[in-house]
Amino acid sequence: MTSARPFVPGAEAVPTAAPARITMVGVTKTFVTPRARVDALGPVSLEVAEGEFVVLAGPSGCGKTTLLNLIAGFEPPSDGEILVDGKPVTGPGPDRVMIFQEPALFPWLNVLDNVAFGLRQHAHLSAAERRAIAEHQLELVHLEGFARAFVHELSGGMKQRAALARALATAPRALLCDEPFGSLDALTRERLYAEIQELHSRTRRTVLFVTHNTREAACLADRVLVLTARPARIKRVITVDLPRPRDFYDARVSVLAGRILAELRSEITENRGRNDERDQAGD
Amino acid sequence: MSETKQAIRNISVLAAFLAAVLLLWQAVSSLALLPSYAFPSPVQVGGRLAELAVDGSLWPSVRASLVRMALGFSVSAALGLLLGLAMGMSETVSTCLRSVFLGLQTLPSAAWVPISLLVFGLSDTAIYFVIVMSSTTAMAIATADGISHIPPVLLRAAQTLGTTRRAMSTRVVLPAALPSIVTGIKLGWTLGWHGVVSAELIKSSVGLGFLLHAGRELNDAAQVIGVMLVTVFIGLTLDRLLFAAVERRVRTRWGFAPAVTRA
Repeated sequence: MTSARPFVPGAEAVPTAAPARITMVGVTKTFVTPRARVDALGPVSLEVAEGEFVVLAGPSGCGKTTLLNLIAGFEPPSDGEILVDGKPVTGPGPDRVMIFQEPALFPWLNVLDNVAFGLRQHAHLSAAERRAIAEHQLELVHLEGFARAFVHELSGGMKQRAALARALATAPRALLCDEPFGSLDALTRERLYAEIQELHSRTRRTVLFVTHNTREAACLADRVLVLTARPARIKRVITVDLPRPRDFYDARVSVLAGRILAELRSEITENRGRNDERDQAGD
Repeated sequence: MSETKQAIRNISVLAAFLAAVLLLWQAVSSLALLPSYAFPSPVQVGGRLAELAVDGSLWPSVRASLVRMALGFSVSAALGLLLGLAMGMSETVSTCLRSVFLGLQTLPSAAWVPISLLVFGLSDTAIYFVIVMSSTTAMAIATADGISHIPPVLLRAAQTLGTTRRAMSTRVVLPAALPSIVTGIKLGWTLGWHGVVSAELIKSSVGLGFLLHAGRELNDAAQVIGVMLVTVFIGLTLDRLLFAAVERRVRTRWGFAPAVTRA
């Protein structure tokens, strides 16, 4: 949890404790509905070190989002254990802030109040201090001119940047990103890659980032976990030791993206083979 | 600028239409198909209203109805919000109350009058009871519906940002359901206004409903129609004054298209 140190003017956010270590041991998730039973995940075991940037890459619908939802504490795992710094996850908490595919900004608040939303949990902050933090976060994502704007007045990219600012204002120890840039145009996205790398190197938060974009994975990750088709398991771990900051169009990033893509392609082909076998066995 | 022009045009069109209706009414009544105690002309209605205003019987009744409405509706809105919130937050509460409330909504306001007289006697409490029973359920259901339509991702966003379970309802659930709540309150206002006039019709010595009733006793259709017009006018004006501005603000904030209704 965040320590109750007094707010220092000019500090970029709430004082942060050390980044989180995330551990998953034999985690599975099965959804049972009246119409179907879906094995979405696992078993998955993984360890994300303090301050590490881990990208989960996998085919669409493989259970990547489910994995993040479990770590975020929105749903309990069917089996296995999820630990943050050795303590089991029992529910959502501001030490692990999730950034969703959609911005999920609150339409009844203006942009500044959205960014300040999570700061209410810090009882030691006055209204003026919350405001100052939120304004600073808006500057970091270049939205300082839109503090008073309503949410629907922002473009898609601006909304997602505001959502990023809202998550970062609370100084979470881990960021869980569920394809946050998926719906953005290429130019906006590339700028955000630079910003998120800069941010990560400055603040050293633990980041778990889900995507099916292989170049995005290669550009951002310290480590890429390639997942299998549903139920998702870890198929391959690729460590990325390219120097940072990385350019999205760097040749080495491209080569690495190619490797990740090859893994994904082979997974899709193998999975199709497995499904065919299963179908034949069922006949 | 063109918006103002459009508004002026709309008001002129409406005024012309209402004038035409009045003229037609005057023309038909001058044919004397029905006796004037059953079908008065607009001039007679206007004259009677002026008399009522001058002899001091109109204003105390308007005030009495408005005061009853203000009190009864405040209770009913608070109850409706709380019940709606409980229904929205709990599947069990919703299962218990939803069909009961939908059933109660099929009762016209006037159907609450006999039982409220039996229980509360000839008191103002009987009128408050009718107002509350007429409008609470609609507001509760609108609030519950608004809550059930909140995008789940907004709730999750609030949770992941550290909103406690206790703070959820005031910081997230009620504000997120606001558009639907405003609609429910507008509807509740109209139903409550039905309730107060219905109750006064049968029990009261002052109030718009009482004036309607007195007009019938005296075979005075001019008074009846005049008071009906006053009732409509007050209901409409308060809707515009109290709720239109709130609704417009909510719509602007959420980025909804402007409301179609205007006048």
